Amino acid sequence: MASFKPTKIPVYPKLGEKVTQDTLYWKNYKAPVQIKEFGAVSNIDFSPVAPHNFAVTAFTRVHLYGPFSQEPVKTFTRFKDTAYCGRFRSDGQLLVAGCEDSVVRLFDVSGKVALRMFKGHTKAVHVTDFTSDRYQILTGSDDYTCRLWDIPNAAELSTYQEHTDYIRCGVTSKLNRDLFITGSYDHTLKVFDARAEKSAITMDHGQPVESLLLYPSEGLLVSAGGRYVKVWDLLKGGQPLVSLKNHHKTVTCLALGNNGERLLSASLDRHVKVYNTTTYKVVHNFDYAAAILSLALAPDDESIVVGMTNSILSIKHRKHTEESKEIMSQQRRRPSYRVFVKGKNYVPKPDDYLVSKPVKEHLAKYDKELKKFNVSKALDAALEVWLRRKKPEITVGVIKELDRRGTLKNALAGRDEKQLSQLLHFVIGNIVDTRFAPVLLTAAEMILDIYKSVIGQSALIDQQLLRLQNILESEINLERELLEVLGMLDAMFATSITRKEVPYSDVGRSNGLAQGEASSSRPELQVT
Amino acid sequence: MATDGVSLSLKLPCVFSPKSRQYLAVCAQDGRLRVWNTDSKTLHQEYVPSAHLSATCTCVAWGPCRTVKEGPQRKKRKSEAAQVEEKADLLAMGTAAGTVLIYSTAKGSLHCTLDGGHSGGVNCVHWHPEDSLLYSGSDDTNIVEWDLQTGKTRSKWKADRAAVTSLCVSPDGKLLLSAGHVIKMWDLETKEVYRKFTGHSTAVTTLRFATTRPPDSNGLYFLSGAAHDRLLSVWQVREDGKDKNSVVSFTLTDEPQHVDLITSSSKEEAVRLAVVCKDGQLHLFEHFLNGPCKKPLSPSCSVQMSDTKESPMPIPLLAAALGADPQSVLLAYGNYLQPVMENAEINMAERHVCLARDLKTNLSLSMETTVSKVKTPIVNAKSKVLIPGLPGHKAPVVSAPQGTEKRKKDAGNKEMSIAERLGEIDLEASSSQKGAPKATASLQTDNYAVLLMQGLESKDANILNKVFQTRKEVEIKKTVARLPLPAVIPLVEELTTRLQGNPLVACMMVRWLKAVLVHHTSYLASLPDLVTQLGVLYHMIESRVKMFHKLTKLHGKLHLLTTQVAANDDRNAVSDVDHTAKLVYEEESSDEEEASGDEAFPNEDSDHWEEEEAMQEDEGDEEDEDPDSRTEPKANGDEDMEHENESEEE
Repeated sequence: MASFKPTKIPVYPKLGEKVTQDTLYWKNYKAPVQIKEFGAVSNIDFSPVAPHNFAVTAFTRVHLYGPFSQEPVKTFTRFKDTAYCGRFRSDGQLLVAGCEDSVVRLFDVSGKVALRMFKGHTKAVHVTDFTSDRYQILTGSDDYTCRLWDIPNAAELSTYQEHTDYIRCGVTSKLNRDLFITGSYDHTLKVFDARAEKSAITMDHGQPVESLLLYPSEGLLVSAGGRYVKVWDLLKGGQPLVSLKNHHKTVTCLALGNNGERLLSASLDRHVKVYNTTTYKVVHNFDYAAAILSLALAPDDESIVVGMTNSILSIKHRKHTEESKEIMSQQRRRPSYRVFVKGKNYVPKPDDYLVSKPVKEHLAKYDKELKKFNVSKALDAALEVWLRRKKPEITVGVIKELDRRGTLKNALAGRDEKQLSQLLHFVIGNIVDTRFAPVLLTAAEMILDIYKSVIGQSALIDQQLLRLQNILESEINLERELLEVLGMLDAMFATSITRKEVPYSDVGRSNGLAQGEASSSRPELQVT
Repeated sequence: MATDGVSLSLKLPCVFSPKSRQYLAVCAQDGRLRVWNTDSKTLHQEYVPSAHLSATCTCVAWGPCRTVKEGPQRKKRKSEAAQVEEKADLLAMGTAAGTVLIYSTAKGSLHCTLDGGHSGGVNCVHWHPEDSLLYSGSDDTNIVEWDLQTGKTRSKWKADRAAVTSLCVSPDGKLLLSAGHVIKMWDLETKEVYRKFTGHSTAVTTLRFATTRPPDSNGLYFLSGAAHDRLLSVWQVREDGKDKNSVVSFTLTDEPQHVDLITSSSKEEAVRLAVVCKDGQLHLFEHFLNGPCKKPLSPSCSVQMSDTKESPMPIPLLAAALGADPQSVLLAYGNYLQPVMENAEINMAERHVCLARDLKTNLSLSMETTVSKVKTPIVNAKSKVLIPGLPGHKAPVVSAPQGTEKRKKDAGNKEMSIAERLGEIDLEASSSQKGAPKATASLQTDNYAVLLMQGLESKDANILNKVFQTRKEVEIKKTVARLPLPAVIPLVEELTTRLQGNPLVACMMVRWLKAVLVHHTSYLASLPDLVTQLGVLYHMIESRVKMFHKLTKLHGKLHLLTTQVAANDDRNAVSDVDHTAKLVYEEESSDEEEASGDEAFPNEDSDHWEEEEAMQEDEGDEEDEDPDSRTEPKANGDEDMEHENESEEE
């Protein structure tokens, strides 16, 4: 007895954007929380210790936000002018910030008044950071100098005046307490050693440097300036490794994500790009509402915080609820699955008598109807709203199967106004899809044949037929144009092939005709 | 200082012209100077200072009236020939950039620019009543005396430790009041301090002389108002110099914004005062100034305005000017961009008066009439065009020597009549208007090459959508032609993905694709891996085009059907006559030629028609039931087909 074969649903290639592991990972964030700050958000820094508060520098204030709070848990307002670069010490106890009035202030995270004021710069201080031994502070200023300060007695230890323009970014090494790197608007990056009087390495970025980032291993340095992101090998004495140009405006901020496997760059063109750090290809792209000035990621990518020029701070938290739900359901199902699997991999002995138990086949609703030869109902089942919206390939597959059986006409006939309009709606929606066009064209023709006599009786159907006509017309226009393009391409391929003698590989068959034509048209082309 | 700046900037200059009150000069929030005609209630002139956004106008003062027939450079002395009509002409505007602009309403253009005197913003300007002198006080604590005949500073002196916020010249032109930290009275001949008055804790915004009596007669009074102060203080200049405190004060509901008064020249004459406060109320006072009065005086009448809606909202008053008749007050109210002027009769007997006005209609009325007289600024060749964003830029200023040249030239042909001058203005205006569209055209872009590049580089969907929405063939061509070569392949890839889907969108993409192929043929053909680069595109197009044949056929079929239906509908709509003609055909049941010929005969009765309709309905019913009961699909289809053929032949 031949068993019923379920309808074969062809698998079509997916159109549109490819879903990769990265897109899944970076899309797994909740809707952003947006907080209005007092001015453009110039810097965001996450505390390295447990609750991972983050400091947001905007206008004349530095706000501390908790990991989930939407209100600042703490505010430092003792700035005379615009504050810059609020950064935490590695123990999360102290916070340092520069200011437009050239004074660098050091705060206790739990206090309010500045613990120390470092005076000495003559212009705005845009860069501040702690050295890895925790007792010194690095500052870089618009007066072209960078300085090291001693925290306990607020004294200046050393000054380096090597840059010839504003210093706008700098990082300290987390491994070596004497090493730090600064980037300046004079297009250079300089590596300094506090024990030496001069810079150790100088690298030319080619554009005013806006941001610097050291890899955790500290072998690689990433710099951003102009539209370029560049990666440098410090161990080879500052050899440029990679130059990336994926933004159309100045790149303002850099961050590392996914345990250092992904590099993020934020730019004034409103985008955040995620790069794979092995291939340096863009794997994901975020879009924001305004030009981005600052970007930071919480440890383990728990949240992405972005500060923009329109003084909005956008915080995206990672989704967790669904994961935990999945784990729960898996745990509950596991024992039953074990029971279900029980004896599956039992190997029968040679003298065992095998009693085969027919496996009950699960059939889809439309297949059940098809099995009963209820063609009309099978089509109805395939035309269910969610199915035709979400998986039009199933609906089309069923129509194709009906056509193969020669019963499509029966299935299509005998429908009332509502059902017919549903059917037509589906046809109108999908007839221009090249994957479905052959099947749907036949169906559409049959529909016209069957319902020819009643056309004009229902305004709804007439309207839909008109829509169908319109869409067909535009499609025909398009295809006419496309045919012209095809002709152009043929000619182009022909010239290139005759010149290069490139053998056809994958497209050879598709334009075999073109090749034939090419041989005839070659002399003319060469003349012209 | 900062707070002073804010309060001053909030207070927009709004001044009536002296004497006849014919014009109201308002410098609104948008930085433009508008001169309104109070008689016709229309916009008389509009002037946009070239740096109106960076160096906003902080104060406006009308020059003394003069005969218009005189050349603009003549002394502004009161003409002895009183029969010649005197008109307010010159307006002095102080700007935040420290310059003073002199605008002529007769010429309708900038008369000259006075600069080089102040290093800070100008807070106040005041004309000398007789000589052609102008005084300005600035944030840089100095007072400058300008000679308008040369356009240069005549003298400049440090007036105070703080910014000079207000100035006033006495009616006889011998004394000058300045307000900074303290109010000082200067002798204008010697430029020495004559008296000092202290009392205000905030910046003094208003200074006015209340009487026209000489200073040594114990009868000279002046009044002062300050920011955030709800009192107007009156000071007496006493012979013995014991004038430490104010003698009288007037209470207001808010800080004074606009003060108008009619001075008294003798003890028996009362000073009439109209003060518009910041809250939009007008207070009228009448007082005999003859010595100190302990109690603050309350207004004899307060005027408010409201609209005529269900729940009335107050309309702010902007300025008020007292008329010669004690009852009548010229009011300006509404907003600064389009004030409404009205000569109101106010019943002084009542202490509070509320006037209800429908502002909407007034507004639209004045809107209609304004258009023709709007004046565009005349840009001469020497003025600089400023680009926003340049640090530290100032108002473009016509240098002083040039100003004098102009004056000399104008003075030379001073006998130019008004008609001639008007003609000149029109000519200049029209020429500047002609020049304008050219300039804008040159600024417009005709291609999106840069934008497209940016979009392709950062894969910004917004930018790409915007670019690809272009429908103009020329723009597409230019964009593609100017696209740098490295961007061509990314563009083709982007177009390939966008070609899938809706035919209407795809059609636009095809245009782009064609443009790319046409413009970059040689580049594309020279690519070594052309086939692999464009293979995807080729395949996609080919698979889509495969169904062209069938699609066209289906379209034709559908077209036939729908046009038939439409034709049927039309026939139904026209009249019943056609239906009867159709019936004729049914009866004869032969060929179509005859039927079409018979349609012309309207000789059939309607009974048959009804029968026919019933028949059709029956058939329809049958069809509806048929398919379910039938088992053989082929036969069903055939029958249907035959049936359709019949019905189509109808």
